[in-house]
Amino acid sequence: MAALAGLGAAAGALSRYATTKWVTGRWGNRWPFATLVINLLGSLLLGLLTGWHWGTWPTVILGTGVLGGFTTYSTFSHELVMLLDQRRYGAALGYGLASVGGGLLLAALGLFVGLRFAG
Amino acid sequence: MANVLAILICGFLGGSLRYWLGEVIPTGAGFPWSLVLINLLGSGLLAWLSHARRLTAKWPEALTVGLGVGGVGAFTTFSTFSLTTVNLLEKQQWGLATAYLAVTVLGGLVCSTLGVWSARRWWGLPLVEP
Repeated sequence: MAALAGLGAAAGALSRYATTKWVTGRWGNRWPFATLVINLLGSLLLGLLTGWHWGTWPTVILGTGVLGGFTTYSTFSHELVMLLDQRRYGAALGYGLASVGGGLLLAALGLFVGLRFAG
Repeated sequence: MANVLAILICGFLGGSLRYWLGEVIPTGAGFPWSLVLINLLGSGLLAWLSHARRLTAKWPEALTVGLGVGGVGAFTTFSTFSLTTVNLLEKQQWGLATAYLAVTVLGGLVCSTLGVWSARRWWGLPLVEP
């Protein structure tokens, strides 16, 4: 089971790498949009997947694995500290609130919609 | 290409380790300890890795990218953190949800700061004299 989660996480991490490259290439890296979009999208999709409840295997591969590896906490926390280090307090507050608040709202929305689909 | 391969290998290890720790660390008193520990430890490690330039300058780039983006990046996770908090709120466990949020966010900030600070202090590149 751990290996299944690992396989999914490898795919998720690579998608995060590609997404970050694409977003920073297009919009620059002055504001950490890439990680924000990744973490919000991942929270929404994990809510959907959990509400839908396909069973253990898909949850481990897609949830713990792909979405777990796609989203990341360490980069979020590091970017937050870097914004504070640069004394960009407004940006830090905005980034923190958007990530945590947005993540909660989208995970709840995903869960709600997923439960509906589960029938 | 080396970066991609390094991310895949380290991502596999990071994700497997996260799953395994989730299985072996018990949920003490309804509090999801495993993910708190994972995210705090990972926050410290990634911050350290990003600033320990004197060390990483000697490594191949793929190793630094693999360990950071793949290993620690896939070890820590944001989606499960969000969903776990929503689950606690849904069960009206307001205290646990608040504690979980606060410990993860504030603890993450402390660990990242410690990682950045220690790396700059002991593993940073020496300042070039003009």
